[in-house]
Amino acid sequence: MPASNLLTQLLPELILLVGACGLLFLGATRLAASRSFLPFAGVLVLVAALVVTIRRGEPDGSFAAMGLWISSLTHYVRWVALSVGILILLVNWYLPVQEERGEFVALILLSLLGVLLTASANDWLVLFFAIELVSIPTYILIALSRLDQRAAEASVKYFFLGALSAAILAFGLSFLYGASGTTQIQHIAGGVISLTLPSTGELGSIAMIGFLFVLAGLAFKVAAVPFHVYAPDVYEGAAAPITGMLGFVPKLAGFVALIKLFAAIGWNLPIEIKWLVWILAAVTMTAGNVIALLQDNVKRMLAYSSIAHTGYMLVALLIGPVAGEGPMHDGVAALLFYIAVYGAMNLGAFAMIASFGRKHGELETLDDMNGIASQAPAVALALAICVFSLMGFPPTAGFIGKLYILTAAFSFSADHAFAQPLLVLAIVAVVNTVISAGYYLRIVAAAYVGKSSTPANPTGGFTLRWGLAVCSLAMLVLFVWPRGLAGQASRATAAIHDSVSAAHTVVRVDTDFGNAQVDRTSP
Amino acid sequence: MQTWLLTAIIFSPLLGVLLLWLPPRGSDRSIRRSALFYSVVTFGLAVFALFKFYGVAPTDSQGDPKYLLQHWSYWLGDVEVMGDVADVEILYHVGVDGISIWLMVLTAFLMPLAIWSSFTSVRTRVREYFSLLLLLEVGLLGVFCAMDLLLFYIFFEFTLVPLYFLIGIWGGPARRKAANKFFIFTLSGSVFMFAAVLFLAYYSYSDSGLALGYITLNIEKLSQLAHAGFISTSVQWWLFLAFAAGFAIKVPLFPVHTWLPLAHTEAPTAGSVILAGVLLKLGTYGFCRISLPMFPHATMTLAPFVACLAIAGIIYTALAAWVQTDVKKLVAYSSVSHLGFCILGLFSLKITRVNGAVIYMINHGLSTGALFLIIGYIYERYHTRDINEIGGLARKMPWLTFFLVFFTLSSIGLPGLNGFVGEFLVLLGTATSNTTNDLRAAGPLGYGYAIPAAIGIILGAVYMLWMCQRVLFGPLKEPPNTPDTSTGLSADLTGREIFILVPVAVLCLAIGVYPNPLLDTFTIATEQHVLRTPASHSWSVTEAGDDLQEEIKRADPMRLVESTSVNNLERVSVGNVGSDDLSTKKLGITPVFSSYPVTTPGMFLLNPVTKSSVAKTDHPETDAMTDGRSR
Repeated sequence: MPASNLLTQLLPELILLVGACGLLFLGATRLAASRSFLPFAGVLVLVAALVVTIRRGEPDGSFAAMGLWISSLTHYVRWVALSVGILILLVNWYLPVQEERGEFVALILLSLLGVLLTASANDWLVLFFAIELVSIPTYILIALSRLDQRAAEASVKYFFLGALSAAILAFGLSFLYGASGTTQIQHIAGGVISLTLPSTGELGSIAMIGFLFVLAGLAFKVAAVPFHVYAPDVYEGAAAPITGMLGFVPKLAGFVALIKLFAAIGWNLPIEIKWLVWILAAVTMTAGNVIALLQDNVKRMLAYSSIAHTGYMLVALLIGPVAGEGPMHDGVAALLFYIAVYGAMNLGAFAMIASFGRKHGELETLDDMNGIASQAPAVALALAICVFSLMGFPPTAGFIGKLYILTAAFSFSADHAFAQPLLVLAIVAVVNTVISAGYYLRIVAAAYVGKSSTPANPTGGFTLRWGLAVCSLAMLVLFVWPRGLAGQASRATAAIHDSVSAAHTVVRVDTDFGNAQVDRTSP
Repeated sequence: MQTWLLTAIIFSPLLGVLLLWLPPRGSDRSIRRSALFYSVVTFGLAVFALFKFYGVAPTDSQGDPKYLLQHWSYWLGDVEVMGDVADVEILYHVGVDGISIWLMVLTAFLMPLAIWSSFTSVRTRVREYFSLLLLLEVGLLGVFCAMDLLLFYIFFEFTLVPLYFLIGIWGGPARRKAANKFFIFTLSGSVFMFAAVLFLAYYSYSDSGLALGYITLNIEKLSQLAHAGFISTSVQWWLFLAFAAGFAIKVPLFPVHTWLPLAHTEAPTAGSVILAGVLLKLGTYGFCRISLPMFPHATMTLAPFVACLAIAGIIYTALAAWVQTDVKKLVAYSSVSHLGFCILGLFSLKITRVNGAVIYMINHGLSTGALFLIIGYIYERYHTRDINEIGGLARKMPWLTFFLVFFTLSSIGLPGLNGFVGEFLVLLGTATSNTTNDLRAAGPLGYGYAIPAAIGIILGAVYMLWMCQRVLFGPLKEPPNTPDTSTGLSADLTGREIFILVPVAVLCLAIGVYPNPLLDTFTIATEQHVLRTPASHSWSVTEAGDDLQEEIKRADPMRLVESTSVNNLERVSVGNVGSDDLSTKKLGITPVFSSYPVTTPGMFLLNPVTKSSVAKTDHPETDAMTDGRSR
């Protein structure tokens, strides 16, 4: 593999890496004195990476080396992460104190770099490092985000639980290595995929243990119940703009890793795993929504809402690409569509919280939001669009996302063994929509119906408003014209469909090792 | 051929909303006037569409079902952009038939009145208020024009948002509770409908369902297939229940009606007018457009159950209305009671009676809308709606008295006014539903249902007249310091207020005296789209052996449609029977006039609908939905 090929294939990642290092350096120079120079430079880096990604077009999947595999999925995740990344920087424009801005922007870029690498990883070790690259900057970002003791507390809490989840993840990966004899996720040779893990629908016990631990470790990253406990505290502690990032970036990385994990066995999930994910999804969305009903703090409420959204996305993950192509049949395409939409709407909701302050600092409780609509109709409108989108209400992109997931859930023929449970899960998701309306409406009602004697202080400046405007406009545009994103999402799953078919053509290498283990341990 | 007319009508209020935000802050006066102007423009367009519709409308129910003034464009799923998802055909697709065109015009007609009536009553956040009213109009017009099930659902659901804000911001003291209850109640019903829509989408595609090989949610296609018996009975049951969950809450039917009185009492006048006048019709319209045509078996089986709920609602809410002291709440309960009649009429499954139900929707929209306007006028002057605090207003307000009595009489069904037409047809239909006097198969209801419903009518007259008597006649009773004329009102109705009510009153009278133009278009639409009786008669043959079948096949000009074996009984239905009825008698065939449902096992439609006849085409225009005459 010539080095030049490697460099061109990884050009977006390299731009991010060089940009992040450059920003770290610039942060220490006198240029940092200019208020908006560093975030502007950060946006330029992201735009450059995005332009390179789009100009290079969709990769043909033939590049696979050094634990990386540049596939159509990589392409999709790259441009989604970079686009939302630009919005994240816009929203975080004025955030940290002056001296720390260089580090702050650089860390955001590094975290995004982690997401990009997760999407190209084809080696469990690279995947592990990439996910840690996503997480570690976020620990620091939380602490930097505001001068509040709660931010430090949140940072430490997130770090410890994150470290624990990393340990669980690494432990599970070691078992997967034990089962397959290789750290490769899938064998790729000339664009042909063959599986490294058994795909018989019955994992050997070693592989099963590994699978469960990896699932648990990644469930931390996507904040699925019962691994969600950190989310509300962390979201409450961090400054609102960075919370908008926390809800999206680790979740995207986590779900991409989960997709890779499931694709590694050709989506031929053992029935135990299916039921496990089923329960995980049902409990995650129900618990998230029900507990959110009880909250008065807006950020905690949105934290639980983001947990509930993890539940919806787990439904899509469980459906998988088995039933066909396109987001109306393919759960993975629906998931990829949903997570992109979710990133923007979630960021928009937090951006609105960041755009106003009260005497005691950020908007905290619902009462703090009272009367925003009379004071700033445009901001309130953007908030309403984002919140209705989170609720999955027309005419917003959240509705389309939910539509894709539910239709995909119905797309198993009635004689399929797991068709009935998926039907029930879809009904659970639908009931959850009603529950979620209970608290999303409270947010909108506070802004529109509530009255406040004192006006809130506008904070954040015009980049924040622009970020918010783009988020909410994107929700409307993607409702009217969902085909573009949906088409991209469905093309992104081409690689996964290949691995599903690889599971059936069975070109297995080293897989008998895991089964042999079973034979030896069984009486 | 496509015409942009309906799309222009649906989205013209949206353009109005954008324009409303142009004038600078503080120009409330010009905002009010321009909002009224935009809604009048929409009404003008709707009337234009009405004339255009009558220009091309079918004059009898022969021929294929037709929706007119269609317009469509690809929305979800596009052959070019997503090569691999070309099997999705969910469109933005609008079109109208004889039923929906009138409901659309009713919406466009009531909206300017509602906007005009709030000129004095809404003083705060004027721009937002009128924007929301216009947004609400977009949703309502969209529901009546949608020809795609998903589009229908989207507009249906979207109407919640503006009304939520209208009640929540400009409502009475308990507005927050009322708005939340309204939103959550209706949402909890309609999410099941959402699931059902998506299930239908999948069902149309899958091999275990309709096996079309592509996802379609076209209402007309699905109805055709359903009537040809391609949707299995058990699936119909579940889908009917899921859709009914959405529609019943919207109507509202008896046990789930509790959100309505609260929403009505708290809503501002214009909100109430639109809520009673149009929004509740979304439920009955949904039954009529979706449940009846798409799930004929389930409808037939469940009709007695739905009718019982409707009757329970009629009696219960009539009694509840009787004891109300809040005039607005009284009218709100009467609304629930009246819509029970509407449901009864629909589920009698007889063509003229379904027409009665549809005209009942229009009538109820007019008279109850007007009643809410009048109550709004009283409230603006006296700041109370308590029946115990006001009385004898006839002495002071002759104009108001005239209109209140007029619309009360219209509402309780005085012959000569509009209410009577619908009420009569509905009761007649309910009573004679299970007969075959009209040469159609027996419907599910009968006298047992008509008698309690008739009692409901008597109760309706009692409480409405009692309310009139207390409010209008007897000694004058006013709360202190009233009437409040500080906002430029006079003691009796002002010219503006009278001008708002006059067109409604004229329409009430006109429909009462000469309802035929409406009923005629309803008949065609009902036959073609709701009950889907074939244009020519269907014949069924019982106990016909192979020999007989052969004979039937040979018998010219009859065309054998299909035959199946059910419990060893051969049932054959044949179509396009020529003028020579003797041939059938010679064969010993008993003619049975087919009616709803025509899809009892083994009995098939004439002009047989097969999967291939509604198979996917490049453009929707090439099959049964073709709007032939508008070219």
